[in-house]
Amino acid sequence: MLRAYLEVIRIRFLMMLAYRVNYYSGIVIYSINIGVYYFLWMAIYGEQSSLQGLSAVQMATYIAISWMARAFYFNNLDREIAQEIRDGTVAIQLIRPYQYLLVKACQGLGEGIFRLFLFSIPGMIVVSLIFPIQLPSIGTVWLTFALSLLLGFIVNVELNLITGLLAFFILNNQGMIRAKRVMVDLLSGLFIPISFYPLWAQTILNYLPFQAISYLPSIILVKGLGGDELTQALLIQLVWCFVLLIPISLIWRKSRKALVVQGG
Amino acid sequence: MREMDAIYAEGLTKEFKVYQSRGGLWGAFRDLFDRHYRIIRAVEGIRMRIQPGEMVGYIGENGAGKSTTIKMLTGILQPTSGELKVNGFDPHRERERFVKTIGVVFGQRSQLWWDIAVQESFRLLQKVYQIPPKEYKSHLERMVSILEIESLLDQPVRKLSLGQRMRCELAASLLHKPKLLFLDEPTIGLDVLVKDNIRTFLKEINQELGTTILLTTHDISDIEALCSRVIMLDKGKIIYDGSLTQLKKVWGGRKKVLLETEREIAITDFKSRTVDLPVTWESTGKRQYVAYLEQGEVAVSDLLARVVQDIPILEMQIEEASTEEIVRKIYQEGIPDA
Amino acid sequence: MFQLQLFIEYFKQYLKVRLAYRWDFVVQLGTDFFFQAVNLVFILVFFGHTKTLNGWTQHEVIFIYGYFLIPWAIFSAIFNLWDFNERYVIKGEMDRILTRPVHSLLQVIMETMTPESLIGVVTGVIVMGWAATGLEIEWAWYDPILLLVFALGGVAVYGGIFISLISISLFTDSKSDLQPIIYNIGTYGRYPVNIYHRLIQFVLTWVLPFAFVGFYPASYLLDKTQWQWYALITPLVGAVYLGIGIMIWNWGIRYYRGAGN
Repeated sequence: MLRAYLEVIRIRFLMMLAYRVNYYSGIVIYSINIGVYYFLWMAIYGEQSSLQGLSAVQMATYIAISWMARAFYFNNLDREIAQEIRDGTVAIQLIRPYQYLLVKACQGLGEGIFRLFLFSIPGMIVVSLIFPIQLPSIGTVWLTFALSLLLGFIVNVELNLITGLLAFFILNNQGMIRAKRVMVDLLSGLFIPISFYPLWAQTILNYLPFQAISYLPSIILVKGLGGDELTQALLIQLVWCFVLLIPISLIWRKSRKALVVQGG
Repeated sequence: MREMDAIYAEGLTKEFKVYQSRGGLWGAFRDLFDRHYRIIRAVEGIRMRIQPGEMVGYIGENGAGKSTTIKMLTGILQPTSGELKVNGFDPHRERERFVKTIGVVFGQRSQLWWDIAVQESFRLLQKVYQIPPKEYKSHLERMVSILEIESLLDQPVRKLSLGQRMRCELAASLLHKPKLLFLDEPTIGLDVLVKDNIRTFLKEINQELGTTILLTTHDISDIEALCSRVIMLDKGKIIYDGSLTQLKKVWGGRKKVLLETEREIAITDFKSRTVDLPVTWESTGKRQYVAYLEQGEVAVSDLLARVVQDIPILEMQIEEASTEEIVRKIYQEGIPDA
Repeated sequence: MFQLQLFIEYFKQYLKVRLAYRWDFVVQLGTDFFFQAVNLVFILVFFGHTKTLNGWTQHEVIFIYGYFLIPWAIFSAIFNLWDFNERYVIKGEMDRILTRPVHSLLQVIMETMTPESLIGVVTGVIVMGWAATGLEIEWAWYDPILLLVFALGGVAVYGGIFISLISISLFTDSKSDLQPIIYNIGTYGRYPVNIYHRLIQFVLTWVLPFAFVGFYPASYLLDKTQWQWYALITPLVGAVYLGIGIMIWNWGIRYYRGAGN
């Protein structure tokens, strides 16, 4: 069984290799974004050496690392699922001998691994040559970052599964999918680190799953978190990984019923 | 003379670049930065003359280059080399003026707008082709009545069945009274009645308006019903261009005449009666005989004239290879002296 | 004149389809507003930490953003071709387009336009107006006219670059999503260019001139004289880039290889 899922990951990886125009355009898009946010933040820093506990160099590092992390966790699983629901192919997927949602997650992982190795890592090397950023030297912090990144990936996949499956109930949920994507980018700390929000907003964001996707992994690396802070950050991510399974299984159960009704 | 041809093609060729992927994971990595390609010739040096008013069947196996040719003739693709004039235009270079003189129906792709009612599509096309309202109205009415699509006009295209849609497509392609009509697989997936209706309609517009028709199809019966001339394509080259009867005559093989007589006849009796004809006889059962006639040389009537005089015949049957069989044979064996 | 008549005809058909799918329309408007709100939130949070951005106040930055929404809205209404590659090249709708006696690009635009996006013009005006209350701007009688001319110039810049990008699909048969690039580069033009590195300023002015879509014209309306010459050549830059875009399109049509088979 496990081999089937590994195969799914491999196939998606190869598929990504085939879309070479997308590969190049992805590089351009990410460089553009890192550039915009770098200059904006540096303009804000101006003369000030530190804001909200982050120095200018740390901020630059944060921008670079959070965008490169996005390349890993980002995928269009929600759009794909919604598409498969709309055109009815999901019914065929369901009679195959595997877990549909797990297959989707594996596809996302295949995509993520592709971009991690062919995109994020070389990208990070190039970025570190152009912009004044400071990465920690090799050590345990990279290991905890990797773990945190993986947890962030899982949380993002879970959110995508939820939005995608909602297509069972709202036939045209493309608008919602787009809105979700922007919301994740804004509230996960990609555009603005959570600690820069007004206090009242921070309180709310602390109760939402989005920070687990981008802010926590990036800050672990940039600040080299350790001790209690590190444990707490990883714990928050872990809790969200499990908590989000509940709505997924509820929606999934309901949607299979909906499928029976729609099908026929 | 060239101005007279509806289609004039000389040495028409289309090449495509086809990217090849390397095998394996490492190969895929390398493809990301450096891809190999090879050039294939989809259509190779085609020569074609079609006179106004002709109905021509264009046949060939999948991948023989039919669609590519049609796309060059309709101005969609630019030929790699060769000379091409359709209705006196260079289809690709003078596209916008040229396409006003042609109609196109792609069986597998709708020309109509999916979400709006059929008559709205027609109206939009009226504007697109700048057809004067009066002319448009009378012409449309005629087509609606021949094609029996009156009741479909206010339905959105996506709700039509394939046969209904195809009839509407035909009307749409002829709204601007084109001199030349291209039909790519017009009867694919249709039932017999609709096929019949469409064939009758095509014959009518060909006779009344003098519309030249070029038709590609998998269904040889389309061609038998409509076309006097066939152009056959194989691997990008034309391997036959001529009449359907000639095709049958040359590649039809032997004709078989089966006879059942009232009384027993000696086989030698038959043989002596037809000794100057290229016929071989065989007895296949009690009072049952078969005559094989070599390749269309002899008319069946010639044979019968000599036999029926004083031999009472109960039943008679003539068998010849169907066009479909002939075509299949040609594809399999190729034409020896093409 | 023929083109205009045709446009009206397509517009009528568009309305009919739209009325048949009303719910999509509402969702579309909702998400558009949401996007703009997110961008505003970003600017507001930003200015929670600084008084000025390289000499630009919060109100000025918001004014620039509000102005940018106007050409952006007009652009989105005309060029809704984000899935051009998929729909027209891979699925082969382009074949149909090419058998019709109207310029292919014009047909594609008329088939896909989404005039409802023009509502973004209203949003832009509101955002600009709101920002202007905190600024002292002197409006000359001709400023509204200039604003319109600038906006159309900006649309032409956007449109030209967008057409060039989607034309790439005509040359290659592989699946490609280049269009998001334009959205991302466009963000540069929403902020004062003097916060960027000199090289980027140069690119935004002469190579991918997105600064003409937002910043230069807006700074003119903000009565800043430093970039007024840039602002005034906006329509010219627009015409040049639109011309280049159409040229690349026409060139690509020659390489179009048709779908399937």
